[in-house]
Amino acid sequence: MKEKLSAFKLHKTPQLILFVAFVIVTSLALYFSQKSVISFLLLLSSLLFLYYMNLKNRTKWMIGLILLFILIPFASSGGPAFQSYMEVATMVGIYVSMALGLNIVVGMAGLLDMGFIAFFAVGAYAYSIFATPQASNFMPFGHYPLDGNSFWAFLIIGAIAAAITGVLIGVPVLRVKGDYLAIVTLGFGEIIRIVFNNSDSPINFTGGAMGIASVAHPKIFGYELSFPNQFYFVTLVILLFTLFAVLRLERSKLGRSWKAIRENEIAAQAMGIPLVKTKLMAFALGASFSGMMGVVFAAKQQFIDPTSFTLMESFTILVMVVLGGMGSVPGVILGAAVVTILNLQVLTELTNWVNQLNLSGVVSIPDALSPAKMQKFIFGALLIIFALYKTNGLIPAKNRVFDEKKLASDKSNSKDNDPKGNPMTTLKDKDSKEQTKIYS
Amino acid sequence: MLHEMIQSLPQVLIDGLTLGTVYAVVALGYTMVYGILQLINFAHGEIFMSGAFIGTAILIAFSSMGLLHSIPSILVVIIMLVVAAVLTGFLGMGIERVAYRPLRNAPRLIPLITAIGISFVLQDVVRFIAELAKGNYIITGPSLFTKQIHIPTSSISSVFHDSSFKTSFLLVLIIAIILMIALDFFVNKTKYGTAMRAVSLDRDTAALMSINVNKIISVTFFVGSALGGATGVLFAVQYGTIDPYIGFILGLKAFTAAVLGGIGNIRGAMLGGIILGILEMFAAANLSLLTGGVLGAEYKDVFAFAILILVLIFKPEGLLGKPVAEKV
Amino acid sequence: MPILEVTNITKQFGGLTANSNVSMTVEEDSITAVIGPNGAGKTTFFNMITGVYQPTSGEIKLNNESIVGLKPDMVAKKGISRTFQNIRLFDEMSVIENVLVGMHSHLKANLLSILLDFPVTKKEEIEAEKEAYRLLEYFGLSSLLNEKACNLSYGAQRKLEIARALATKPKLILLDEPAAGMNPKETKELTEIIRQMGKEFHTSVLLIEHDMKLVMGISEHIIVLDHGEKIAEGNPDEIRSNQKVIEAYLGSAAVN
Repeated sequence: MKEKLSAFKLHKTPQLILFVAFVIVTSLALYFSQKSVISFLLLLSSLLFLYYMNLKNRTKWMIGLILLFILIPFASSGGPAFQSYMEVATMVGIYVSMALGLNIVVGMAGLLDMGFIAFFAVGAYAYSIFATPQASNFMPFGHYPLDGNSFWAFLIIGAIAAAITGVLIGVPVLRVKGDYLAIVTLGFGEIIRIVFNNSDSPINFTGGAMGIASVAHPKIFGYELSFPNQFYFVTLVILLFTLFAVLRLERSKLGRSWKAIRENEIAAQAMGIPLVKTKLMAFALGASFSGMMGVVFAAKQQFIDPTSFTLMESFTILVMVVLGGMGSVPGVILGAAVVTILNLQVLTELTNWVNQLNLSGVVSIPDALSPAKMQKFIFGALLIIFALYKTNGLIPAKNRVFDEKKLASDKSNSKDNDPKGNPMTTLKDKDSKEQTKIYS
Repeated sequence: MLHEMIQSLPQVLIDGLTLGTVYAVVALGYTMVYGILQLINFAHGEIFMSGAFIGTAILIAFSSMGLLHSIPSILVVIIMLVVAAVLTGFLGMGIERVAYRPLRNAPRLIPLITAIGISFVLQDVVRFIAELAKGNYIITGPSLFTKQIHIPTSSISSVFHDSSFKTSFLLVLIIAIILMIALDFFVNKTKYGTAMRAVSLDRDTAALMSINVNKIISVTFFVGSALGGATGVLFAVQYGTIDPYIGFILGLKAFTAAVLGGIGNIRGAMLGGIILGILEMFAAANLSLLTGGVLGAEYKDVFAFAILILVLIFKPEGLLGKPVAEKV
Repeated sequence: MPILEVTNITKQFGGLTANSNVSMTVEEDSITAVIGPNGAGKTTFFNMITGVYQPTSGEIKLNNESIVGLKPDMVAKKGISRTFQNIRLFDEMSVIENVLVGMHSHLKANLLSILLDFPVTKKEEIEAEKEAYRLLEYFGLSSLLNEKACNLSYGAQRKLEIARALATKPKLILLDEPAAGMNPKETKELTEIIRQMGKEFHTSVLLIEHDMKLVMGISEHIIVLDHGEKIAEGNPDEIRSNQKVIEAYLGSAAVN
C-alpha cells in the first residue's frame, strides 16, 4: 500500500486525472446542489491538493488561477447561495492577505506582534472617513464624501497610512526585547482601538463607538461594485499582488536579513544588518498589506466601528499564522483559509444544526455550549496543541533549495576563462574528499 | 485647575491604593514566574479571574444555604480566600506542567503562544460554567462589608474634599499587605525560598546543588497562582461584579506594574503595583481636567499602557531591577 | 601601515575594570593573536573593536578612521568582521543562506527593486549565490549547502562561521577562539586555513586562541592580556621567553 502511494506521488498523469475528476465532481455538486457547503469546501481544498501535486510550478500556478478566477465563482453561481459563498471566499482572501502580512513580522522576522489588527483598522478608517461626510468635520478643504472612484487610490493610501503607523509604533517598540515586544504591541493595538472609539469629541473624526456608516462602494469606469462576487475579484487581485510581493521578499536580501535577525540578533548585526531599520521594514510591510485589506473591508461592509478591531481579531490572525506554520507562505495561506472558514462557515453551520436538534427535541444542548460561542475555546486549544505538538504548523517552513549544479557549473567556466585557475578553489581541490568525509 | 485636583486627592489616593494593592499582588505572580523561567505567564490574569469566580461561587453557595447571617463575614472571606488560593495554586501548577514544561527548550516565542492559548481556554471554560450555572456570565455575588466610612479629610486642610470608602477597602488592603509580607518572608527566609532564588539565578548550577528544579518551579507556580487567585477573591469582594474577561486587561496592567518595579524583583512588583494603581486613578480623575476635555477618563487604559511603553524604552530594568546585558 | 590602531582603551563595568589602557596595532595583511588566561578581558576587547560595547575611554581606528561609537552593523560595513566564541550561526537557515547573509552589505537590492523584480537585482542575486558557493567550496562545505546550519558537526559549524565572516569582505577578521572544541586533526587543518585565507581574501587576521601551538605557529605578532592589562607583546619567540607571560600563565609562585 505504502509503495503504491509513493509511486502515485511520483506519477503525474494519474494524479492529474484524479485531480481533474475531483474538481469536476465537486464543481458540479456545488453548481447543482447549492446548499452543499461540503462541496464548496471540497472544491476549495482542491487548491491544497494542487499544492502537493508533482507538477511544475508554472503549471500549478496556471491551474490555480483558472480555479480561482473561473471555476470557483462559476460553480458557486448556480443558485441563491452564490453571494454567501462569494462572501466567504472574499473574507478568506482578506484574512489570507493579512496573515501573509503578519507572517512577515512573526514568522520571518520573529517579532511577536499581538496588535496587528490595528493596521487593518487604520486602513479601514482611512477610507471610511474620506468616503463619508465624516471628513468634512475637520478637513478645511475638499468636498466629502469622496466618491467610489477614490477607492483605488485609497488602496495605496491605506497601505501607506498603515505602514506609517507601523513605523511610528515600531520606532519606540522595536528597541524592546523579545517577550516584551508582544505585550507592548498588544498595548498599542488596544490604544489605537480606544483612540478610534473615543475620537468623536471634541472633533468628530471617527464617529466613536457609533462607527461610520454608508461608506461609498468602489466604482470602476462609472460602474459601482456592491456585490460580494465583485469584491471577490477585487480581493483576489490584491491578494495575488501580496503573494507575489511576499514570495519575492522571502528569497531576497531583505527576507534573509529578517530570518537572520530571528535566528540570532547579535550575529545578524555583526554581519552588517542594521537591526532597527530591518525590523521596521518588516513592521511597515506587514502593516501595509493589512492596511490595504482594511480599505477593501470598509468598502465591502460599508460600515465600520471599533468592535471589528478588537484584541480577539489580532489573536485570530496570530492563530492563522501559528496553525499554518510560522514563516511558511503556503502554510499561512492554508491556516488563514482554515480559520476563516471555521469561523464563518463551519461554526455557523454547526450552530444551526445544534439549534435544529434542540428544536426537534433530539438532544438538549444548552445555549452556553453553542459552537458559535466556542470560538475562544477552539482557538485557544489550537494554539496549545500546535505549539506543543506541531510547532512548525500544518505546512512547515522550508528553506529554499539551491541547485548545486547551477552554482557549480559556472565555476568550470570561470576556470576556463581564468588561466591561473580560480584561487578560491585551491584548498578544496587539494583535499576536498578528505574534508567532506570529516565534516559531513 | 490645580485646586480641583488637590480637592479630589484624598479620594484618588484611597481608590488608587485599593486598585494598586490588587495590581501589586497579581504582579507578584508575573514577577515570580518571570524570575524563575524568564517567561511571561500570560495566563496569570486568567488565574486571577478564576480565583474571583471560585470565591464568588462559594459566596453564592453560602448565601443560598442561608449561612451568610450566621457566620461572621470575615470568616466567610477567609474560607473563600483559602479555597480559591489552593484551587488556583493547583491550576497554576497544572498549567506549568502541561503547557510550559515541555517547551522549556523551545524558542521563546512558543511558550508565549501556549500561554495565550491557555488564557483563551480558561476564559471560555469559566464562561460556560458560569453561563450553565447562572444563565449569564456576568456574575454579581452578595455583597459583604458594604458600610461606607466617611473620612472628613477636609478637616485636615480646607483644600481637600471629604472622602469615603467601603469597609471592604480596609479588608483588601490588610489582606493584601499580609499576603505580601508572607511572600517576602517565604522567599527570603525559608528553604524553598532560597532554592527558588537559586534556581532563578542559575538553573543548571542549582540542579548541581541537588535542588530539584522541576519541583521548585512547580512550587513557584503554585505560590504565584495562589496569590493571584486570592487577589481575585479580594477583587470580587471589593467590586462585586465579575465576568470571565476581567483577568486579561487587569493582568496586563499587573504585568505593567511588575515591569515598572523591575521584573523578577518581588519588592519591585509591590512598589510598581501601588504606583500604577495611584497613577491610574489619578489619571481617571484628572485626565479630562488636565487636557481641557480632549481626553476623558476612557483613556485611563491608554495611560497605563503608555507607562508600560515608556518604562520599557527608557528604564527597561524598572525602578528596583538591575540592568542586564546579553553576553556576547 | 597598520590597519587597526587601538590606543589606550579602557572598559569598566560598574566598578569592574575589564580592560585598562590597552594599546595595540594590527599591520595590514598580518596575523596577530591576543592571548591571556581566562578572564583576562580578551573577549571584551573584541567586543569593543566590533562595537558591541563602547569603550569607557580610548580610541580605535580602522585605516586611520575612528570607529568608536559605531554600532556593530556599521563597524561590519566599515570592514571588520568576526566569529563568536560560542558559535552563533543562523541555525534554521541553510548553510549557503548563512553565507549569503554575510554578503548583506554588498548587495545593492532595495525594497523597490525587490518588489518590482529588477533584472539588476536578479543578476546581483545570482552572482552572490555563486560567490557564496565558491566560499563554501574553499572551506570544503559545498556539498552541505542546503543543510540546516544547526545540523552541521561542530568543526563544520566553526568553519561556516569563518566563511560567513569572510563573505562580508572584511579588511580585518576577528576570530574568537576558532579552534575551541576541535580535535588535533581539525585544529591542524584550521591552522592551515587561517594561514592561507589572509592572503587569499586580502584580509588581516586578529585572533583569540588558547591553543598555543596554533598561536605560535601562525601569528606574526602576539599581544598578551592579563587582568585586563597588556603585559607583553612581540613575535612568538619573544613571547615564549617573556618572564611576565610565564608568570601570568603559571602563577608567580611556580616561577619563583
